[in-house]
Amino acid sequence: MTATARRPAVRPQIAAVRPRRVELGLIALIAIVVVSAYGLASLGESASVPADIGPFLAWMLGLFFFVHLAVRRFAAAADPVLLPMALLLNGIGYVMIARLGEDVGGGLAGLQSVWTAVGIAAFVATLILVPRVRELAQYRYLLGVGGLVLLALPLLPIGVEIRGARIWVSIGPVNFQPGEFAKIALALFFASYLVDAHELIKNRIELRDLAPIGAAWAASVGVMVLERDLGSSMLVFALFVVMMWVATERTLFVGLGVALFAAAGVVAFQLFAHVERRIDAWLDPWADPQDTGFQIIQATYSMAEGGLTGTGLGRGEPDRVPVAESDFIFSAIGEELGLAGTTAILMAFLIVIGSGLRIAIRATRPFEKLLAVGLTTLLGFQAFIIMGGVVRLVPLTGVTLPFVSYGGSALVSNYIVLALLMRLSHEQRVVSPSSSGTSR
Amino acid sequence: MNRRIRNLGAAFIVMYAVLFAQLNRVQFVQADDYKTHEGNVRPQLRAFGQERGDIVTADGVVAAFSVPVEAGEIEFRRDYPTGDRYAHIVGYQSFNQGAFGLERQYNDQLAGARLDQQFDSLKDLFVDRDTTGTVVMTLRDDIQQAAAAALGERNGSVVAVDPRTGEVLAMWTYPSFDPNLLSGLDGPAVNAAYQTLLNDPENPLLAKSFREVFFPGSTFKVVTAASALESGDITLTEPVWPDSSGYEPLPAGSLIRNFGGSTCGGDLMLALQRSCNATFAEIGAEWLGPDAMIRTAENFGFNADPVIDLPDAARSQFPTDYGAYIADLDAYQPEGSPPLINGDTPIHENSAILAQAAIGQNDVKATPLQMAIVAAAIANDGLMMRPHVVAEVQSADGDVYDTVEPSLWRVAMSPGVASELQRAMVNVAENGTAGGMQVGGLTVGGKTGTAQLGTTPASSHAWVVGFAGPPGMPAEIAVAVLVEAQPGASEQTGGTVAAPIAQAVFEAAFAASGN
Repeated sequence: MTATARRPAVRPQIAAVRPRRVELGLIALIAIVVVSAYGLASLGESASVPADIGPFLAWMLGLFFFVHLAVRRFAAAADPVLLPMALLLNGIGYVMIARLGEDVGGGLAGLQSVWTAVGIAAFVATLILVPRVRELAQYRYLLGVGGLVLLALPLLPIGVEIRGARIWVSIGPVNFQPGEFAKIALALFFASYLVDAHELIKNRIELRDLAPIGAAWAASVGVMVLERDLGSSMLVFALFVVMMWVATERTLFVGLGVALFAAAGVVAFQLFAHVERRIDAWLDPWADPQDTGFQIIQATYSMAEGGLTGTGLGRGEPDRVPVAESDFIFSAIGEELGLAGTTAILMAFLIVIGSGLRIAIRATRPFEKLLAVGLTTLLGFQAFIIMGGVVRLVPLTGVTLPFVSYGGSALVSNYIVLALLMRLSHEQRVVSPSSSGTSR
Repeated sequence: MNRRIRNLGAAFIVMYAVLFAQLNRVQFVQADDYKTHEGNVRPQLRAFGQERGDIVTADGVVAAFSVPVEAGEIEFRRDYPTGDRYAHIVGYQSFNQGAFGLERQYNDQLAGARLDQQFDSLKDLFVDRDTTGTVVMTLRDDIQQAAAAALGERNGSVVAVDPRTGEVLAMWTYPSFDPNLLSGLDGPAVNAAYQTLLNDPENPLLAKSFREVFFPGSTFKVVTAASALESGDITLTEPVWPDSSGYEPLPAGSLIRNFGGSTCGGDLMLALQRSCNATFAEIGAEWLGPDAMIRTAENFGFNADPVIDLPDAARSQFPTDYGAYIADLDAYQPEGSPPLINGDTPIHENSAILAQAAIGQNDVKATPLQMAIVAAAIANDGLMMRPHVVAEVQSADGDVYDTVEPSLWRVAMSPGVASELQRAMVNVAENGTAGGMQVGGLTVGGKTGTAQLGTTPASSHAWVVGFAGPPGMPAEIAVAVLVEAQPGASEQTGGTVAAPIAQAVFEAAFAASGN
């Protein structure tokens, strides 16, 4: 990535100011929502205005304004909705984490505010370091191998097992989930590979061309087996199937992908106790309410408690659900903000998905198109499997809710995804008037 | 590729739509099921994490209040300073055993959970105000204490109501239990105490005053007398039944004897005063017939769901199946004799059951509360008020949120019949078996009952029902007293055992007003 930094950033051209005005307006609204929510959460818990509302206000407004100015400078023509949606999700998540505070062990809010700053820094850095996304395609194999290495990193002695999944790496004082970054690398690899291969695959299917899908499948199953990370393996697999399908326009690949995943799932169910436990807890959590079903049952009670409008911020007991601050932050929002709040979260993700896919449709070259599809799928599908898991629509897989859950790696990687999407959006808006919709 | 991207967008919309549907199911459609789901401890933790209002008697004695404790998520527990005295009404709030009685019935008001309690005005959004509600009972502690003391350690119940309003003034059952045993925070100890209470053969957890039915015996004769007066064929003085030692039912059945093998008869006034089984059995079976008896009993609230503001009240019963119609009474008269005034009274296959039911035997069963409101309806000119134990709910500042207004439950009889019956019952108290309930300076009416349960060994429930008030004024209190059959007390009668308890209750009720 650093190799591209020497190129000058593309300067904004005509009609580039208007989307930023829209963005600024949305960010101002969201700042009001987040600061009010922060104050209300404290009122709800202790009937007093939080003492740190001033510093919090300054910190939030500062970050929001800073990132907006950065977009003005480095991607002035980019989509105006994506960043405000991310800030809304991040802000609501932060208020929830701060409100959970001591209930889930304390100290997380301070860390999360630092991670938010780091995420925003990563967002700005990505905009600066990647002036043209297309240039990343030349590091295709580096990215592909790098992605798989990152995915496998926790298997080394530096890996740490937490709650049954070995997805963490600990180097000195720094703990992170390399899988979160592997997803981005793999999306870039898939997009660039498929641009070269898609004509071949489209016309006639050869075993040789199917090797990547085999490799991706093997990698995701390998992750599932060795790290017990159901969520990431599902996500990477879905990413590849979707990108393959969009690239080749062959529905066959969807069927093939689903069949392979089902086969892998059946084998895993029979071989691995933890997969069987997840499935059992999904089908009938009340069969074992104190053990396998405990988390999902508590989440159900929590969301039912919220009802339509919620108990009010600070007035529920969302910490009754284990890991409410990360995997189960959606149920915490459901309890205190009710169906109204969870619906708002759903809508925010749908807007992100809609904006991402619109960027994909507007893109003129296949690489940009495929990459936008892949990045959007990463956000939209990951949000779906964790929210669906929490409401028992699909089996529970421990992944974070993008931008909302507590966690540094996830926050940073999601902001990088967002920056790449905005960079793509900026490029197409800036270049399209002069290139009249065709490739240069 | 754009077509595929649009397809992908559609797929995402479908996925999120299904997610939205499932969210609606969890948070709206089935939310109430989950909230009350077995194993969901959220309601209990919420209940024990906040202060609740007091439950107090009408004369201001606190029967339940919250005590702050520090035990993890439990911040308050309930204390019942009156011990077992209101256990069956106030109930308990137990972490292990759930809530019961008023603690359950008025949970929202005690916890301050209702909207009008939460938001008195807009400023309440910003101040931490005590929103708990105080439940004020209609029961008076002086009467309740007198009832408990007079019954002593004999199994039984005492129920006193204000006939004019339906307010329950006292409701006591012995044995009772100490709700403090169940409101503690030592889980195993609470469970053990609960098991002990559950396994006690005398069942102290059961509020027999309103949740258990008994043979009412001769106290039921006031209902038969009401039906007789309603029929128009019978007055307090006409006709006069000749003395007899028993009644032999038509068309067939075993002889119904008078109490203690005595011989009695006379007009209705005298038959009630003597509690004459033969006369009332004949009135029920030969003068009134099944239809009139069932109608009157049901006007008094038998065979209906009880209406008290407490959970799990029992239904009082009067039998309704007397077999097929056989003939009118005339068919059983000797050939050539003049027609009887009650000659078209229908005789059924099982009229013998009706004869027994008319004296409160066979399948007639009533709660002590039911018999108290029977006496109250007579005292209140035939109007049976809806009995209730809660007078109002107050805010922490003493403002009244809810008042329970007196309301009519049913019209038991006409005012004329009621006034005749009042006279007859005053006569019973003055000259008959209910003399033991007289209180100087008051007009007292009553009717005793001794429901025989068997002969080996002989045992019986002793009953009394009645009312009392200042002379010339409407009665201010009506009671029912039941002393259950005791081993080794075969000879107890309503007059000797139950009437003095009623007397003690009347004395306590009027002591405060100086009568």
